[in-house]
Amino acid sequence: MSLYEQIQEIRSVYPPGSRSAVLPALQLAQEEHGWLSPAAFREVADALDLTPAFCKSVASFYDMFNLHPTGEHHVDVCTNVSCALYGAQGVVEAFEQELGCAAGETSADGKVTLSTIECLGGCGWGTIVSVDQRYRRGVTAKDVPGIVKELRG
Amino acid sequence: MSSPEHVTLTIDERTVEVPKGTGLVEAAQAAGIEIPVFCYEPRLGPPVGACRMCLVEVEGMPKLQAGCTMTATDGMVVKTARSSEKAADGQNSTLEFILVNHPLDCPVCDKGGECPLQDLTFRYGPGNTRMNFQKRTLEKPIPISPTIALDRERCILCYRCTRFSEGVAEDGELVAINRGSLSMIATFEDEPYRGTFSGNVIELCPVGALTSTQYRFEARPWEIQNVPTVCGHCPVGCNISATTREGKVKRVLSRNHPEVDEGWLCDKGRFAYGHLNADDRITDPMRADGLRSLEAISWEEGLDEAERLLRAAGSSIVTALSGTETVEQAYGLAKLLRVGLGAHAAVLPEGVPDALDAFRAPLSSIRDASTVVILCEEPVVERAPVVDLWIKAARRKGAKILMELPSAPIAGSVLITDDADAAAWQAQELGAAAAVYLPRTPNGRGVSDAWSVAADGEGADGEPALLIISGDEAAIDPAVRALAAQAETVIGIGMFGGSFAGLCDLVLPGTSYLERDGTTVNLEGRLQRQRRAVIAPCPDELAWISKLAERFGVELSPYSSTVFEAVSAALYGGISYGEVGELAPLPPRAEATAKVSKPANGNAPEGTGLRLLTYRPLFSGPAVERTPELQFQTPQGEIEITRADARSRGISAGDHVHVSSNGTTVALRAKITQELAAGTVRVAGSDAAGLHSFVEVKK
Amino acid sequence: MARPLVVLKDSGSKDLTKLADYESVGGYQALAKARGMAPAAVIDELIASELRGRGGAFFSTGRKWSFVPKLDQNPNPHFLVINADESEPGSFKDHEILAEVPHRFIEGCLITAHAIESKSVFIYIRGEYFEPWEILVAALEELKDRPEIRGDVTIVVHRGAGAYICGEETALIESLEGKRGQPRSKPPFPAISGVYASPTVVNNVETMATVPPIIAMGAAEYAKLGVENSRGTRLVSVSGHVANGGNYEIEPGVTLKDLLYAPDLGGGIPGGHKLKAVIPGGSSTVVLTADEIDVGYDFDSLGKLGTAMGSAGVIALDERVCMVQLGIRVSEFYEHESCGKCTPCREGTRWMTQILRKLEAGEADESELDLLLSVCDRINGKCLCPLGDTAAMAVASYVAKFRDEFIAHLNGGGCPFGDSPLEGVLAPVAQHAHALRPVFA
Ligand SMILES: Cc1cc2nc3c(=O)[nH]c(=O)nc-3n(C[C@H](O)[C@H](O)[C@H](O)COP(=O)(O)O)c2cc1C
Ligand code: SF4
Ligand code: FES
Repeated sequence: MSLYEQIQEIRSVYPPGSRSAVLPALQLAQEEHGWLSPAAFREVADALDLTPAFCKSVASFYDMFNLHPTGEHHVDVCTNVSCALYGAQGVVEAFEQELGCAAGETSADGKVTLSTIECLGGCGWGTIVSVDQRYRRGVTAKDVPGIVKELRG
Repeated sequence: MSSPEHVTLTIDERTVEVPKGTGLVEAAQAAGIEIPVFCYEPRLGPPVGACRMCLVEVEGMPKLQAGCTMTATDGMVVKTARSSEKAADGQNSTLEFILVNHPLDCPVCDKGGECPLQDLTFRYGPGNTRMNFQKRTLEKPIPISPTIALDRERCILCYRCTRFSEGVAEDGELVAINRGSLSMIATFEDEPYRGTFSGNVIELCPVGALTSTQYRFEARPWEIQNVPTVCGHCPVGCNISATTREGKVKRVLSRNHPEVDEGWLCDKGRFAYGHLNADDRITDPMRADGLRSLEAISWEEGLDEAERLLRAAGSSIVTALSGTETVEQAYGLAKLLRVGLGAHAAVLPEGVPDALDAFRAPLSSIRDASTVVILCEEPVVERAPVVDLWIKAARRKGAKILMELPSAPIAGSVLITDDADAAAWQAQELGAAAAVYLPRTPNGRGVSDAWSVAADGEGADGEPALLIISGDEAAIDPAVRALAAQAETVIGIGMFGGSFAGLCDLVLPGTSYLERDGTTVNLEGRLQRQRRAVIAPCPDELAWISKLAERFGVELSPYSSTVFEAVSAALYGGISYGEVGELAPLPPRAEATAKVSKPANGNAPEGTGLRLLTYRPLFSGPAVERTPELQFQTPQGEIEITRADARSRGISAGDHVHVSSNGTTVALRAKITQELAAGTVRVAGSDAAGLHSFVEVKK
Repeated sequence: MARPLVVLKDSGSKDLTKLADYESVGGYQALAKARGMAPAAVIDELIASELRGRGGAFFSTGRKWSFVPKLDQNPNPHFLVINADESEPGSFKDHEILAEVPHRFIEGCLITAHAIESKSVFIYIRGEYFEPWEILVAALEELKDRPEIRGDVTIVVHRGAGAYICGEETALIESLEGKRGQPRSKPPFPAISGVYASPTVVNNVETMATVPPIIAMGAAEYAKLGVENSRGTRLVSVSGHVANGGNYEIEPGVTLKDLLYAPDLGGGIPGGHKLKAVIPGGSSTVVLTADEIDVGYDFDSLGKLGTAMGSAGVIALDERVCMVQLGIRVSEFYEHESCGKCTPCREGTRWMTQILRKLEAGEADESELDLLLSVCDRINGKCLCPLGDTAAMAVASYVAKFRDEFIAHLNGGGCPFGDSPLEGVLAPVAQHAHALRPVFA
């Protein structure tokens, strides 16, 4: 099914005339393209009868949309208070070490994009690291090499 | 105690009674008290309460309230900064926060001197700054279009501009991106803000963040004069102020007429004044010299030449008018030619079908319609832009929008049509509460009426010896040019050499609506006053027409005011020039005429494929062509097509498509529209060269 | 000490993510019971139970439902919107509920839909909760061929995309409508004009998961639990410097001290460290000092100390933690999450962070400490929604209760804490500086 048709299906779930399908549609487009390129915005906008400008205005409000190309895998380290108390910063630095790139960047091999992220809602189980959307609990600096190895495959 | 439809409240110890539903800001105004605002602008829809400038204390509420979001209620007790420490501190806080990252580059800001941020800081703000960090710096200014510059450092994020784009113009092109303190105003991928009404955001912006590239560094507020006049580009006749400095027009601003334009202007009206200083502007009489070129001659020679040609032609003259003339000009010309020479023949601009006067209503009534029926082949926005905004307002208020005549009458409906012959019948069938006809020219009605009341007598038939072309619009009209080819001699009256070269034996200089005094009649039938904002580089038409008239023994005043008296007696109930006023009223409705019968519909075109509609784009014509900043607004080779027709051909928005009808093929970009009936497509006339009325569209 | 379980009942012994297991412990019988009652009767039952919203505002759930106009008063359809956006630092209880007792939660939604006469439920779940989302969707799948349970109600799960502010009910509604998640100014309140300009009830996940037990055991029974103004049980998230971080269902009245030290709860401060401060209800709440913790964990008791249960996220901080660094990290969070709509929050939170950083670096003098407090004061009470207000209150409370520590930083003092775990923590807002660069340039 083309992206256009998939988006029409999503639209049918919400009241006619509403724009509620925007987030799901953008999520779909991002799954398809890995990030929201100008072309992706145009595609989504066309399928929703909205302007690309509006779609980008919405997307750029939320943290989970990539407005730039990213790596194959996403590693998000929670550095909010609770996780920080468990040593999140050490985990971040360990990842920066292993990946050879700063938080907010993608490793040179294009495999992993590393970011810090606000509270992931696992505070009692910290440090929480979200690897491709799945939470790893109680991560410490010494778990990091293993995780990176796994992602580099 | 207050009446059922009124409420009484107290603001800073003053009691005031206002109609139910009045906003608190307006209620305070009524009490002579200011509640300062930035983001609040009722014309943009419901209040958003974003900027927090309007904080007030309301009895019974612990927290300060955003006054702009409140409605006056009975017994409400409100304290503004004038009487409440807390409110004063609240407003002072808001201004401190607004200024924390504001560059304060007022000395080089075009808004300086007429800036709400400056004024409110002066009245309510902190006298000093406690911000000792480096302010946020951003790339500036960014041209978000050739006509508008954006300074993101100055932006206070009141979201007026984006709310206009989304909620009034509904173009969805100017938006806010990012979140929190990183939020900023932007267009998509730095593409220009294309939209018929984009310029309004400049006036809406309460700071110097959105400024006009044309006005940039052109003047300081204390050096300018604002002349209240009326736009002369289309039949709506929006009320405007022309800002002038040292005898030059520097910008055009809206001048809110609540019944006509609600303070909105289209970009043509706002930015196309550049034509006044066009390179090929005609400032002296010109005589044909060789085939293509014209040579300047003195006024004395010019008038002698004109007199000679007129006498030679006698009554065998046809006059083609543009519909851009003032009532007085048309009347003067008619006096000269019809009375002086018995030359009655004319090609008149289409007026407004008189039968529609029984359905006359202010444009604002469109907004309150239950149903709006649009029977136009050309896009409304291209012919009468602001009418399109009224229609959108109606849709937002819940009105049904129909694209064809319903089978049964609909109460409270408004008709909008561009079919002169059928208009009255359509209105009658619809049982319309009001009907608006969209003529092609700004003052077609005023001109035709003035011409016809100037004298009586029929035009002599037979080949005309002399053709007089009044105005650039007539000069570029193919039909008129065809006439010119047959006529022995041609006299032109107009502004630009480009319109007349190779067409005329003699050209006499014309003026722009910004350079002359007079009256015009808009599509509602509203008589409005145009005022001279700047002195033309040549005497205006009436001045030399009266001189010429003298030579033919016709008495004609060179002053619009005097000429108007005569016209008014015949057409406008004898009101005086002065009475026309700055916010002109709408004349009363005419009596309903006898039942109109269905006009024989001109043989409905039939063929295979998609029916092709063409239109004359708003952003075209002599004035636009001479305004470089507006070129980006001219049609970009697009074909409007319905979603259904597009999908059945595997076409999606932005695709390049081939449009063909026997033999000819044109490459255009697909634009999906909801405004057309299935089976029809629409293309700007300039892009449709060689296409017939039915086309095939392929990817 | 044995504790009554209401929300998480039986989740230890059985896999309540499975419909069969849930039904084996009486699942969906409360729904049947409720459907046997008139909607108004269900609302009365909830009012009698004294259940108060678990999302943070702690407003009477039954009363909130009662504000929804009857269908004959307002023709528009009614909507039930579930707030599963849980993003308050310190709170992860809804995460547990969705993952452990999804059916109890769904049953609560269906009962509520019946009570407010709604046929359409939207569950707005934060985008990061991918696994809980999978579990929830699987649970709903199981109901596909159980029409007698679903009734004529459609439930749509709508995933957020990463924005704390979308937990605020009107921002959530905007986001659900496909817009930027910026709060609306109230009134109108959602009950009158919420999503799609129709009457809408917005409720928290835990609130929903509490409804079935209330109907099952009866309001009177439920209201016996807890203490005055804080009835029933509360699922509390405990994290930070405690031995056993996790979610604990307690009866309000249990002291904060117990929550941190009781062996079957927090289990004490590890590593022989000393407790220094406690954030009692998520980062938005006023901090408590170590000697303020002998207080009942309930609305009134905490209220007396000028703080609140909020979203029940308890964060323990031991003596190594620098309160200035805490201020920075918390301020950075709110700066990052401010929606950007109203001026004081957008500009103020950023300014707060700047001042705090200067303090931390030891480059500030006392006047700038006062400036910080003044800025907080000028934000507080002026914002469009509580985000800015709470950010200001929280940070101001760190200064109020640990002023000496802030003073010690001034005039070249710098940070006296050698091994504060909050030292130099990289927050997303600081990362924006070099936001994701193109990889394959
Ligand atoms: C900044 C902010 C964030 C909020 N986040 C959440 C949240 O994540 N989950 C939630 O249930 N309520 C949250 N709330 C409270 C909601 O606005 C709303 O009161 C609540 O969802 C109502 O449900 P309840 O009555 O069941 O508690 C938040 C409020 C604010 C001001
Ligand atoms: S650019 Fe002007 S109008 Fe637009 S948000 Fe900024 S200050 Fe307001
Ligand atoms: S004017 Fe009221 S908040 Fe902007």
